[in-house]
Amino acid sequence: MSVESPLNDPLRFHRKTPPCVVVIFGANGDLTKRKLMPALYRLAYEGRLAPGFAVIGISRTPMTDDDFRARMHDSVAKFLEDSPFDEDLWRSFAQGLFYLPGDVGDHALYEQISKSLGEIEKGHETAGNVLFYLSTQPSQYAEIAEGLGAAGLAKGTGWRRIIIEKPFGHDLSSARDLNTRIQAHFHEEQIYRIDHYLGKETVQNIMAFRFGNGIFEPLWNRRYIEHVQITAAESIGVEGRGAYYQEAGALRDMIQNHLLQVMATIAMEPSATFSSDAVRDERAKLLRSVRILKPEEVADNAVAGQYGPGRVGGQQVVGFRQEPGVNPESTTNTYAAVTVLVENWRWAGVPFYIRTGKYLPKRVTEIAIHFRSAPLSVFRSSDAPGETLPNLLILRIQPEEGISLKFVSKRPGAGMTLRPVSMDFNYGASFGERSPSAYETLLLDAIIGDATLYTRQDMVEASWQAVQPILDSWSSQKFDFPNYAAGTWGPAAADAMLARRGHVWRTP
Amino acid sequence: MPAATNEAIKPDDILKELSAYWTTLGADSHAPEEKTESGGLLRACSMTLICFADDEEDAAQLNEMLASLMRQHPSRLIVVRLRDGEDELAARVSSQCWMPFGHQRQICCEQVEVTASINRLADVASIVAPLAAPDLPRVIVLRSARIVRAGALRKVLALGDKIVVDSSRLGAPGFGEIGGLLDAGHITGDLAWTRLTPIRALLAQLLENRQARDIVIEYAGKEAGPEVRYLQAWLQTALPDAYVSLHGNGLLQEDCRADEGKATVVRVDKDLAVRLCPGGAEYETGAMRLRASMPPATEEMLLNEELGIVVHDRVFERALNHITA
Repeated sequence: MSVESPLNDPLRFHRKTPPCVVVIFGANGDLTKRKLMPALYRLAYEGRLAPGFAVIGISRTPMTDDDFRARMHDSVAKFLEDSPFDEDLWRSFAQGLFYLPGDVGDHALYEQISKSLGEIEKGHETAGNVLFYLSTQPSQYAEIAEGLGAAGLAKGTGWRRIIIEKPFGHDLSSARDLNTRIQAHFHEEQIYRIDHYLGKETVQNIMAFRFGNGIFEPLWNRRYIEHVQITAAESIGVEGRGAYYQEAGALRDMIQNHLLQVMATIAMEPSATFSSDAVRDERAKLLRSVRILKPEEVADNAVAGQYGPGRVGGQQVVGFRQEPGVNPESTTNTYAAVTVLVENWRWAGVPFYIRTGKYLPKRVTEIAIHFRSAPLSVFRSSDAPGETLPNLLILRIQPEEGISLKFVSKRPGAGMTLRPVSMDFNYGASFGERSPSAYETLLLDAIIGDATLYTRQDMVEASWQAVQPILDSWSSQKFDFPNYAAGTWGPAAADAMLARRGHVWRTP
Repeated sequence: MPAATNEAIKPDDILKELSAYWTTLGADSHAPEEKTESGGLLRACSMTLICFADDEEDAAQLNEMLASLMRQHPSRLIVVRLRDGEDELAARVSSQCWMPFGHQRQICCEQVEVTASINRLADVASIVAPLAAPDLPRVIVLRSARIVRAGALRKVLALGDKIVVDSSRLGAPGFGEIGGLLDAGHITGDLAWTRLTPIRALLAQLLENRQARDIVIEYAGKEAGPEVRYLQAWLQTALPDAYVSLHGNGLLQEDCRADEGKATVVRVDKDLAVRLCPGGAEYETGAMRLRASMPPATEEMLLNEELGIVVHDRVFERALNHITA
């Protein structure tokens, strides 16, 4: 619904979407079943989709519309989170589900899509608006974009947009090549590169925290912040995805995209407005300010790790090389830690330590901002052991989403004995209402045409540029893997990387 | 915690009790040797919520609803139970705690329960005012029919940034009285209006690109309830070029599905009919018969929405002014 509508009630109504058809390539895949269709159903449940909203699912598997509806019914009922499944609503929603079997390399498929879109547009009044969602193997992205372009489907009577799942290439050169091929048919403003981390409520809250409050921004610079630690730890292994994972690794899978985007959100300058391009301009500018490591600097600023056997939750687990589908001599990193330096006036000399890994002791994603210590010690050190601790601001992304500020306080009683304490804001405690899933947020944004939480070509290239020297160095390096046991906080070399600057990893 | 005092209650004593209560809760939940970051107890407060209820009302049911509401809007909760007797005034403090699923830290909100006879209402106001959490919004929920009749109502209302009523309740303030609250400058909410939000959102979407001329709202019964009156007023104020009329007990009255009673039907220019039933709405577009899910709203859900809006709601105020004009 338009903001100007006399019937709009911005205090109470959720954002509504314009009528459209979502065409999902890879409709029989896990992502569609587990995330996309439950997210679309949930949007329907909340009344956010326009009447006549429709989906065309596409995959190689032969199926009728009714088979597809039955499969999606079971998937949504199974994977829907925090919501009741309403059979009556499903029947209404399912009237808009259609299916086309086909091979994405076959031009006849695109003719079929064109024909179906024409029919649906008439029956469902979708105004020619189409959102293509590529949820296939990354190697098919360019082929599909070219197929759509050749069939004239990148343009139409309404808007046409295309969502591309990560990874956007496997290095800088392939990312550029992919972009060139897609942009031959779709303009940049039609392309929505999804990074589901940016759709997380708590990542969005970083912007609210930084730019909605006046008290933090004056402290948000090299003068007051000593260093920043970004941790994305997983307590599980590759969970049967070993074959895929050994082609990617932690650096490509997490740091190049999700964590550099999170870092950009933490470190970017305030944008002049909250418009999509203004925010993305600032993120891109920050990513372009990341210092590109020289080959001889990689060893001191990046650490690769791979888990070996260990005990997790009281159970013995196998090492990465023993996982099904994994080469027994694999040199894939299941852990990566990187020191990122930002070369601008705000952040010069402030290291951003980023680490991620599989089979770490707990599942946690957080940003810890370490402030500089008080310039002068006025308490006797024997009475004030806590005084030497720096102030810490913790932004917790998951779980227990929230923000904590650590500072020292006098212990009650005689004498000036100090102790660190924590002032906590708990997201769940202040807003008990359900948070939308990242896919609900991102799908809604794409249908509305808000690309703020999507990455842009220049951002993708800048983040590949930042990690490319590390990839190049590691590709020719011999690693003594495994170098950390499952269930521990990663290799000792990662501790040494921080110790060189007098820092230690925080234990979340 | 035991009752504070009889007849006279010092707010300072209640605040001291609350402080002592937190110290005890904190000590119970967190042994001194534990120094983990998770665990322990989180004291949460985003507003002061003052709820006036009748003592005849099921205390357990009301407490359960308010406790559940605390999860969406953690508050310093002050429940004032009003009774008909003479010169009774007592207070006690307690807390509402819960452990969110998958979390290790308990979240607690504080609660003060005041029991007062109606003739001590003026004293209640003087007790409750200093108990309100500083710098946070104060919202008053009037559930008691007694309070509407009480002479000291003005003092009570002065405590709140926002006053929430439910004009559908027996003995609740009528449109004129709610309009009076607005005129006095109070931010006001009516749960009868809140019930309409999903219906209004759907109608707004369906009517957005139409030049609606003739809108008829058919409802069951002889007299239109507050929700129907609000619906008409909203449509009329938003679409001044349309003619929006009400038809009670109409021949076209339609049944909802089994046991759901009669539907309220909104007919637009004879080519769109939206059937509104307790479980959802149904309408036709092209060849499709579509359904929008609208689970019946509980009081908790309605209050949850109202507590999230502590600013003047111009759309509501325009509709109310249309009714009272």
